[in-house]
Amino acid sequence: MSSSLSLKAEFIKGLWKENPVMASLLGLCPTLAVTNASMNGLAMGLATTFVLLSSSLMISALRNFIPHQVRIAGYIVIIATFVTVADRFLAAYFPAISATLGPYIPLIVVNCIILGRQEAFSSRNGIGRSLLDSLGMGVGFIMVLVVLGSIRELLGSGSIFGFAILGDWFTPWMVMILPPGAFLTLGILIALANWYNDPSRSKARKVVS
Amino acid sequence: MSKMSLSTRMIFVLTLITVLSGGILAGWDMVTQPKIEFHRQEALKAAIGDVLPAHDSYQTQKTEFGSIYIGRRDSISDPVGIAFMAVGSGFQGELRIMVGLTPDMTQLTGIKVLEQIETPGLGTKIVVDPSNKQDPYWFPAQFKGLHISPEIVVIKNAKPTHNNEIQGITGATISSKAVTRLLNEQITDIKTAWTALGGTE
Amino acid sequence: MSYFLLFFSAAIVNNFVLSYFLGICPFVGVSKRVSSAVSMGMAVTFVMLITAVVTWLIYHLILVPFKVEILEYVSFILVIASLVQLVEMFIRKMSKPLYDTLGIYLPLITTNCAILGLALFSVLRDYAFWESVVFGLGAGAGFTLALVIMAGIREELELAPIPKYFQGAGITMIVAGGLALAFMGFAGMI
Repeated sequence: MSSSLSLKAEFIKGLWKENPVMASLLGLCPTLAVTNASMNGLAMGLATTFVLLSSSLMISALRNFIPHQVRIAGYIVIIATFVTVADRFLAAYFPAISATLGPYIPLIVVNCIILGRQEAFSSRNGIGRSLLDSLGMGVGFIMVLVVLGSIRELLGSGSIFGFAILGDWFTPWMVMILPPGAFLTLGILIALANWYNDPSRSKARKVVS
Repeated sequence: MSKMSLSTRMIFVLTLITVLSGGILAGWDMVTQPKIEFHRQEALKAAIGDVLPAHDSYQTQKTEFGSIYIGRRDSISDPVGIAFMAVGSGFQGELRIMVGLTPDMTQLTGIKVLEQIETPGLGTKIVVDPSNKQDPYWFPAQFKGLHISPEIVVIKNAKPTHNNEIQGITGATISSKAVTRLLNEQITDIKTAWTALGGTE
Repeated sequence: MSYFLLFFSAAIVNNFVLSYFLGICPFVGVSKRVSSAVSMGMAVTFVMLITAVVTWLIYHLILVPFKVEILEYVSFILVIASLVQLVEMFIRKMSKPLYDTLGIYLPLITTNCAILGLALFSVLRDYAFWESVVFGLGAGAGFTLALVIMAGIREELELAPIPKYFQGAGITMIVAGGLALAFMGFAGMI
């Protein structure tokens, strides 16, 4: 059941074509909840990628060993274990980030991206391929979170990663760092992605050029 | 493996995974727990340090209304101040405020909002007000030296004239009042607890 | 906090979907028809209620006495997953009509972050037993409310000329943004 894609393509697909958020609409809870600042988005993305990579490693290694009937139970125990590891790591070494992200770190357990990748990929492919697939998905997820976080932080607080970008003349749009801003920004980003991916548009562009 | 019946294999594999998971977590707990506890103590110490006047140490006393922290100087026997954590609802969610009081329970020595989910840019001024460049901490600073009897009062759009009054935040009256209401309510409890402990010593 | 305020806060002011972003997947996926939104909402509320009871008992009677709070996430998610399976089997045996309405939504609930979120928030805020139960009911009611309102709007949207690239997920997000904005008006009522 091994995938026919080249190793490089296995990694690349998660970045845009099969991007977990933009293409599959998975993992929306953290995508919306923690992206009121770039830093929070990056931290959440890294934590999720860590869980994704370590679960994939474990599950692809054990794939022939776990009986089919109890695979989901096995997967969620493995995922929850690594989420606890990540959560405690942040609490012990980065208490400020841990306090900001609060319960959204343990909620990585139910992030559909992770269980989805195990079920669709790691349970059917070797360790190397599974790790590449997870890394691609993880990087794709981080990119979306950082872009969303940066847009919201820029418009809502006038800064990116805490560095002031817009001067005093700019009145921050408070709504951007509040819940409605998350929904509106993601809605517009999804529409932009649809526009970019539209085959009829790229065809028209080729004809013109 | 194939000789085992399916249900035995299911139980065996799941047990193995769970034991492995428990083992990893037990080990990780031993590594991280002391650090997490250390950060918690540091945060508590910093908050108490912020609201009480200069002190060398504090002692934690459990009461029916929660823990109180008694700040002491090494050179004098009387405590320099009493701190406690006020917890209650703000505008949108829970507020946790460390409150410092003089030992005679007549004045505040300072407050520090540790947790809040108020409206960004308005209610969050109870912590820090970035729009006021000269004095971003003007709101919490008002509580230092504030008299608490008969109760703390919020004044809208004007400078306070009495020693138990503070100026509210424009556009965030509810957040300002949530803070004072929380203090008024819980200081009464702490007074009771403190008197029960032997009062002003 | 009185039980009524707790319920009201969980259902409206701090709505799980619109202010905590919990349960967004079913919110986007199962909000095309009002009837299915109601069924999904009921299924989630039911599971939330059981989860609130069971996870409270596990945390306070097993994890805390044995000082193994580090197993919180692992045990909660295992219990939720098993509970959902049990509830599904139970409903299938007990009532065919109920199974036909709720059954297909139950497996989806395991990975619904609102359920695990409920258990985590209960522990984080140190709720007593009955508080935790009321919190579960309120969160379920709030989830159902958000889902049903959204489904009502989406039924209307089918007839609306939506810009091409906003169709589907895009417009759903924009509408959710508007709803979240409206729900912010309730802030300050608790």
